[in-house]
Amino acid sequence: MRTRLLPEYRKYREAVYMNLKAQLVWRSDVIFNMLFTISKILFAYLLWRIIFQQKDMVAGFTFHGMLSYYIISSFLSQLEMSDGISGEIFWRIRNGTFTNYMVLPINTEGYFIAMEAGVVLFYLAFDFLAAVIWIFLFRIRFVFTQEPLMIFCAALMVLLGLLFMVQLNYYLGILTLKYQEINTFLMIKKNLILLATGTIVPLALFPEKIVKLMSRLPFYYVTYLPSMLLTGRCGEEAVPGILTLIFWCVFLQFVIAVTWKSYRKKYDGVGI
Amino acid sequence: MRRRSKKIFRVLRELIRIRLQNLMMFRLGFFGPFLVDGTLFAVQLMVFRAIYSNVDRIGTWKEGEMILFIGTFSLINAVSMVVCFFGLQQIPEKIKKGELDLYLTKPVNPLFRITFEKMNPGSIPLVIMSLCIIGYGIYLMEITPGAGQVLHYLFWVVVMMVLYYDMMVLIRCVCFYLVTNARLEQLEDAALDLCMKLPGIAFYGIWRIIFCLILPYGLMATLPVQCMNGEMKWQRALAGIAITAVFTGLTLFVWKNGVKHYNSAGS
Repeated sequence: MRTRLLPEYRKYREAVYMNLKAQLVWRSDVIFNMLFTISKILFAYLLWRIIFQQKDMVAGFTFHGMLSYYIISSFLSQLEMSDGISGEIFWRIRNGTFTNYMVLPINTEGYFIAMEAGVVLFYLAFDFLAAVIWIFLFRIRFVFTQEPLMIFCAALMVLLGLLFMVQLNYYLGILTLKYQEINTFLMIKKNLILLATGTIVPLALFPEKIVKLMSRLPFYYVTYLPSMLLTGRCGEEAVPGILTLIFWCVFLQFVIAVTWKSYRKKYDGVGI
Repeated sequence: MRRRSKKIFRVLRELIRIRLQNLMMFRLGFFGPFLVDGTLFAVQLMVFRAIYSNVDRIGTWKEGEMILFIGTFSLINAVSMVVCFFGLQQIPEKIKKGELDLYLTKPVNPLFRITFEKMNPGSIPLVIMSLCIIGYGIYLMEITPGAGQVLHYLFWVVVMMVLYYDMMVLIRCVCFYLVTNARLEQLEDAALDLCMKLPGIAFYGIWRIIFCLILPYGLMATLPVQCMNGEMKWQRALAGIAITAVFTGLTLFVWKNGVKHYNSAGS
């Protein structure tokens, strides 16, 4: 059993390394991605600065608590780079080169997960550096939880969230096997996810009913809840959150398996 | 003069006819831009609704002003989507591949043709949606604008549309001199993303200089709103017009100089 698992593990490890190394080719991309994280922080800083001139507390946040939330959520949303997966699959199927992935001696979905892992590992240090720079540049009194359990739960949730987003983008990508034009849908999804993950504003600002509704969706746990946990809030939601996210990952994996099984026969390898 | 405008109108009519024929081939994607930008502005409305359920004002602006701001930005964006966005988007590619030759040899101003050749009627619903948002904003502001005020507002919307157009052309004209303008487009996206969510009143110090003078997206929906809520002062109006005039002059200069610089072989 162990001897069978080892080569499997090595294949994925190689895919991670390969994609990690591939990022080195696009060095200026790394720097610009890092620099452009400022737009999210700047938006938060300018908007909340003017609001907090009239109020000391908004939805339980102080000015620095709010900016700490944005620093963490922007760091996490920057790490989530699986958007490209659906686009890549979409174009590959449309121009008939998806075969390149199908002939690899590795599970196609597993390859994309390994690819995302390589990219995330590469960007991790740079995004962290960017976050530290913005904390000092905007003189934020950074609020961060002291509880190791909360940090552990948030880290686990982030990992599951990243996995879920890869699964989601993979699923949307393979829909191209049946539906020719999904590009518009992908762009709409991007806009909606920005709202649902709490990247634009913390979901705590929304009415309670809406927050409750959103907490049934997986996006709530991708960026919003980990950011809240790391700023020392919503501790009671940590464990249920992890369980909800596990449920969504398993459910989506089931949907992917069914979809892949029925749609892959439609791929003829000559493009659309 | 009359013959010239007649010719321009004829060319425009032909460009629209050809474009509509093309669009009919890809009917599914017809309303794509409307759906994408529509959700973007709908999300923004929800975000500010959430913020205003916790605060009364953002600076001096109440919810009505903010809705009007979102609607105005959406209108400027929607009109550009209908008229020129998809045409101007292709400038870098046409320069790189040497396809600009086709435009330079035609007896029509090349920038005019590029501007109008990819009109997108699929975004017209976005214009209607923007007008509804504007109407709702004015309703929340509890004002009944007179004809003069509406004209004043429309004047500023048109001026800011010109500025928006200038910025689009200017950023794409960089390809006359450099191999790629990808970073500038990234900067444009980031600045637009920021300024369509944040009114100009929030900028101060160095940020005001950057987003009102260097990348003047911060002015675009702010000035029309200020003319509606009475915050517009003559100095501000003068500055808005001067900035638009400077950017229009700069755009024409860069375009003309770029065309001279263009060596047709592609790069």
